[in-house]
Amino acid sequence: MTFHIDTSTGSNIGIAVLQGRLDVTNSAALLNAFPEWLQQTTSIIFDCSGLNFLDSSGLGAFVRCLRQTLDQNGDLRLAALASNVAMIFELTKAKQLFSIYPNLQDAIDSFSS
Amino acid sequence: MTITETTHSNIHLVALKGALDASTAATLAKNSVLSGNLPTVIDLSGVDFLDSSGLGALVGIARKKRAANSDTLLACLNTNVRKVFEITHAYRLFDIYDDPYTAAEELSKKISAL
Amino acid sequence: MKTLIVIKEQNHAWVRNAFPGIHPLLLTLCNKPYIEYLIDFAILSRSEEIRIMSDGSLGEVEAYCMNGSRWGVELTYSNIRTTDDITTILQKNSRFCRDNRTMVINGFVFVDYDKESQYDSIINTMPDGVIASAENEGCLILRGQEKNPDAAPAPSPPINLESIDSIESYYRISLDILKNKSSQFVLPGYGNEPECFIGRNVVISKSAEIEKPVSIGNNVQILSGTHIGPDAIVGSNVIIDKNSTVTESIVLDNTYIGEELDITGKTAFQNMLSDPGTQAVLSMEDPHLLRSTQNNGTLSALLRQITHAITALTIIILLMLPFLLIAPLLMVQGKWKKRLTDYHGAGDKKVISIATGTIPNQGVTGKLASIFSLNRYPLLFRVIKGDLSLIGNLPAAVSDNSSAPDQDNMTHYYRPAVFSYAEAENWPVIGSDAAIVERYYMVHSNPLKDIGMTMKALINLPHKNTPK
Repeated sequence: MTFHIDTSTGSNIGIAVLQGRLDVTNSAALLNAFPEWLQQTTSIIFDCSGLNFLDSSGLGAFVRCLRQTLDQNGDLRLAALASNVAMIFELTKAKQLFSIYPNLQDAIDSFSS
Repeated sequence: MTITETTHSNIHLVALKGALDASTAATLAKNSVLSGNLPTVIDLSGVDFLDSSGLGALVGIARKKRAANSDTLLACLNTNVRKVFEITHAYRLFDIYDDPYTAAEELSKKISAL
Repeated sequence: MKTLIVIKEQNHAWVRNAFPGIHPLLLTLCNKPYIEYLIDFAILSRSEEIRIMSDGSLGEVEAYCMNGSRWGVELTYSNIRTTDDITTILQKNSRFCRDNRTMVINGFVFVDYDKESQYDSIINTMPDGVIASAENEGCLILRGQEKNPDAAPAPSPPINLESIDSIESYYRISLDILKNKSSQFVLPGYGNEPECFIGRNVVISKSAEIEKPVSIGNNVQILSGTHIGPDAIVGSNVIIDKNSTVTESIVLDNTYIGEELDITGKTAFQNMLSDPGTQAVLSMEDPHLLRSTQNNGTLSALLRQITHAITALTIIILLMLPFLLIAPLLMVQGKWKKRLTDYHGAGDKKVISIATGTIPNQGVTGKLASIFSLNRYPLLFRVIKGDLSLIGNLPAAVSDNSSAPDQDNMTHYYRPAVFSYAEAENWPVIGSDAAIVERYYMVHSNPLKDIGMTMKALINLPHKNTPK
C-alpha cells in the first residue's frame, strides 16, 4: 500500500496503490492510513491494478473511505479494477457509489473535467 | 466357479461361470490359458458376483499377459460386475466388449496386422 | 433403432473446474439435466435402447437414470478407453448394434431439436455417415443402413449440434433455451403461463417479484423484496435472500444468494460467481454473500472416526509393551530412521506432515519391530487426533504429482491412513493397482469391517517386509 501526490494536472491528486488482497486481515490497515492521506488532499484515487482480491471487509473499508472523503467535499475514485474484483462491486451494488475508471490516467483526468 | 475354454478366430476364449471372490479367485491362477502368455478373451457373462479378490485376480492375469506383450479383453460384464469396475476405476485397465466373438475377431485382426 | 451416447472426459473436463461436484452429464440446462435432453432426442428418434458410454465414471448418471424405465426406454451403460475411436466403439458394442440402425451421439454436445418434429422418419431416410457436427469432436453419426445405391443424397439435416465447451457456451445455450426455445423441449416445472417454469416446494414471498421468462427448480426459497427475472434460471435447493435481484443469470443448485445483492449477467454456483462475458471468476469467501446450501460431513463419517480412534487406542495399549522395549533399543542401534514429509490431508486439511519411519528388517530387534509394524506405532496417535484414519488410502505425497487424489468425485473418498486397504489385501502397494482396491473398500467398508481389515494389515505387513 503506497500513497503519493500527483501534480501532473495542476492540482493535487492523491494516488493510493493497493496490492494483493484486501480482506478481513488487512482492511483495518487501510482504514488507519486513510485519514492521513485525506489531510493531504480531498481528491483521491485508489489504483487497483495490483489488487487481486476484495471481500466484503475490504469493500466496507472502501465505502468508509468514500464517506470520509465526501464529508470533506472531496471524492474517492477507483481505477483499473481487475474483472473479478469488479464483480464484487457489481454484486453488492457498490458500483453505484463509486466512479470507476478503466485505468489510472482516465481517473486522474476525471478530476480535471 | 467353472472355467470353459474354447477358441474363436484362433484366439483363446475363456468363459467363467459363478462367483469370482476370495474363495474362487485362486482357481483362476491354476488355469493354464489364463496364467499363460497368450492373448485371451475372458467372457464374464456367467459371473454374477465379483469382489476385490476376484478383481485382483483379473488384474493380475492382465498384467502378466501385458508383460509378455499380450492383450486381455473382457466381454459381457453384467450390472454387478460392471459396478465394481466402475467404483474402482478398473475399467481404465481393460478393453471391454459386449460380445466375446467380436472381441476375439478384433484381437485376431490386431495380431495378424502386426 | 438404437442410440449410443459416447462422451469422453476430455469433452467435459471444463465442468469439473467450473462447477466442482457436479457430474457433467447431470449438469442442468434450464433445470433439465443434460443427459435427459439426449435421452429425449433418442426417444423422439424412436430408439428402443440407449447405451451411455464414457471413459470416465458413470456411477452418478446410472444412479439418476437407472435402467431408463422412467422414460420407457432401455438404458444400459458401458466403459470405453480414452483412445478408442468410433469404429472401435462400435465393435465394442457389436451385439448392441447388430441388425439395427444405430445413431451415435458423440461429444458433450447440445442437440437443438424440436419435440414436434418427426425425427424417426428423417433419420431413417438418411444415409450412413456423419449427419451433423460441432466443435471439439462433437458429431451425430448414423450406421447400419441397408445399402441402397439408388437413393439420392439426403438434403441437409435439420439437426443442429453445439459443443458445450465453456461456461460461456453453457450460459448462452441455457438462456437461449429459456428465452427462445422453451416450447421445443420438455422442461421441468409447473406453471399456468408459458415461459414460467416453477418446481416443487418453492416458497415465494408475497413481496417478491417474478418476471418471465423464468425457470425455478425444487426446494427454493425466494424471500421478500427480491426480483427474479426476466431471463433467470434458478436451480434446486437455492435460497435467495431479501431484496436481491437475479436477472439474465443462472443460479445453479445448492446456492445461497445473500441480501441486497444484484446478480446480472452472471453464473452463480455455491460460492463462485462467474461472468461469462469477461470470463472472470470470483471465489467468494464471505458466507453472507454467496455460499453453498449443503452441509459437509455426515453422521457415518463421525462414527467411523470414533471407531478408528477407539481401535487405534486399543492397538496403542496392546503394542505399548513391545514398543517401549524395542524402540529405544532400535534408536540406540541407529536403526530407527525418520523422515518428515508432507502429504495431502483429508477433506479440509490441505497438507499434513507425517514422520515416516523405516526399520531395516535385520537382527532380532529389527525382526521384532517388523512383526509388530512398530514403525507405524507413532502414527496411531494421529488417528486419535483426527489427522489420519486407521485404515484407508496410503497417504499421497504433496511432492509426487502422480499419486495425487483423483480429480473426479472420488476425491472426497480419499482418506490418508496409517494402513492401507491395499496392504491388508496383499495387493501391490505402489502404483495405480493399489488405488483400485482402496476405492473398492471406500465404498464397501464400514467401521466394523475396518477393524477387521486393520488386523489383516497388521498380519500381512510383516510378511511383506520379510525378504523372500
